[in-house]
Amino acid sequence: MCPARRTLSARRTLRARRALRASRARRTRDDHRTRSWPRPDQRALVLPPLLFVLVLLVLPVVFIALYSVGLRTNIPGTPTAFSLSGWQDFLFGGGSAFRGRFVYSIEIALIVSVATTLAAYPLAYFLAFVARRRRYALLLVLLAPFFTSYLLRVIAWQIILNNNGVVNSLLWALHLRPHGSAVSWLIYSNFSVALVLFYTWIPFVALPIFVVLENMDHRLPEAAADLGASRAATFWRVTLPLSLPGVIAGFVFVLIPTTGEFITPLLVGGPNNQLFGNSIQAFFGDTPDWNYGSVLAITLIVVVVVLTLAFGRFLQTDLRADARPQS
Amino acid sequence: MKPVGRIGAAGLAVYFWAFVIFLFAPLVVLVIFSMNSSATPTLPLSGFSTQWFRQAFSNTELTGALVRSVAIALIAAAIATALGIMASLGLLALRGRALSLALTMLLLPLVVPYICLAVGLLILVQEVGTQPTLAAVVLGHCVIVLPFAILVIMPRLRSLDPAMNEAARDLGASEFAALRLITLPLLMPALVSSGIICFVTSFDEFAIASFLAPSGQPTYPVFLYASARTPALLPEVIAVGAIIIAGSILLVAGAEGGRRWAERRLVGGAG
Repeated sequence: MCPARRTLSARRTLRARRALRASRARRTRDDHRTRSWPRPDQRALVLPPLLFVLVLLVLPVVFIALYSVGLRTNIPGTPTAFSLSGWQDFLFGGGSAFRGRFVYSIEIALIVSVATTLAAYPLAYFLAFVARRRRYALLLVLLAPFFTSYLLRVIAWQIILNNNGVVNSLLWALHLRPHGSAVSWLIYSNFSVALVLFYTWIPFVALPIFVVLENMDHRLPEAAADLGASRAATFWRVTLPLSLPGVIAGFVFVLIPTTGEFITPLLVGGPNNQLFGNSIQAFFGDTPDWNYGSVLAITLIVVVVVLTLAFGRFLQTDLRADARPQS
Repeated sequence: MKPVGRIGAAGLAVYFWAFVIFLFAPLVVLVIFSMNSSATPTLPLSGFSTQWFRQAFSNTELTGALVRSVAIALIAAAIATALGIMASLGLLALRGRALSLALTMLLLPLVVPYICLAVGLLILVQEVGTQPTLAAVVLGHCVIVLPFAILVIMPRLRSLDPAMNEAARDLGASEFAALRLITLPLLMPALVSSGIICFVTSFDEFAIASFLAPSGQPTYPVFLYASARTPALLPEVIAVGAIIIAGSILLVAGAEGGRRWAERRLVGGAG
């Protein structure tokens, strides 16, 4: 049958048949699973990877915590003792410079997350509802830049935004600005840091929103329309609320990594645009003070873990045995 | 009524394609300047030249860093994929609280910021009493890519029909033989995806490598970062960057094409 001439009811029958087939497949699969996949000794296979993560992730974090309270130190010969002086300084005392850096980082991360989420929604909406047949190919087009080197993309932006870079030299060539006079806020500014972070993360936000829109029960907006809702009303009162889990997941997907970001400010930020991650980096690099750096690192880990716990249910992966099969 | 009207659909399409241009523009800029004869990347273009490619590949520091990164990424991808298979098989057999706990632990590297993991590993190396080495970089990369391996392999493993494995066991295959002859070949598309994702992530990783790579042995991202601040080296970096961009886009397209092809074949054969 020609898809253009397919009637509404025929489409519904087709969908019902597909759903039935899927549920049947699911049931047989579940039967298999309860029958005999899990053998007791198979469980032990999870131990080596667990040990790996314990030694190379949990243990390092424990060490950072010990450094942050002065129980260990990187300076040989220095006596170590429990001390909260680093924490006191960072939270209440003269370390306010780093508190300021922390607040600034959270601000930038929030601005970037809100902007990417707002900008990504129409992209996901286009993929899910307009680009019906080609949607997976187009999704890949959107995600492709994400798979190329992150550092290279930041360097590309450096070349574009530089004082004698692409944008400025283009303005000069078009006689829109006197030769040699660069737009001052184009690079080493809040703008450049936020723009590059926005650029980096937008495909990653579009993805979870697309997944939610794609898996949404498409009969619901149809029902709203049948009951007389306008397109706008259907969107605001049915589609948007239903897609909120994807929106929140996308938002957090950006918020978490940008909170710990430090490469972009190094390349396109000025001294005033360095983020909290840069402070941590400096304490373990050029001006070593591992104890104070550990205070900052633990702070960042705590913030990110709290964010993840708060939004965890929106980030849930499909890996639990009771989760619905993907196909 | 369709969810989007004709005008709305056209508007969304314009918006989408404008964004695609925005996303690809920086990559195109790099490719253009890689073939520009001037040493500074600025407009107007000064003429076609392949000299930066030749210069880049005769720069032994650059090629050394590339080789180092490829080797690290290959080893990390292999280890992480192997651990990912074990973890997926184990998780599949777990239930309830044990499953939640193990899954949380194994996906934890997704949450800890790379910069924190990097300084943590630096401390660990110091506490163990050794110097930063490339081996430490490999181990660090294994940790951060392990969740990707699990997230790719486990759904595929769950979708396999256990009857095939049982049939092999009934026919006398040992547990290990059944795994090697039945499960692993059926998992192959996921293993390839996992390998590619882990390779790409490790190859591109900067934070951990910048702290743990010994000063004379930078990985490619570490070298890239250092030379992005050295104007004289920039054209060569751009040239290699252009090749890497072209390569990774081809890899993504190829992997997706290959995955579809394999899935059609396997699913068609199994179902």
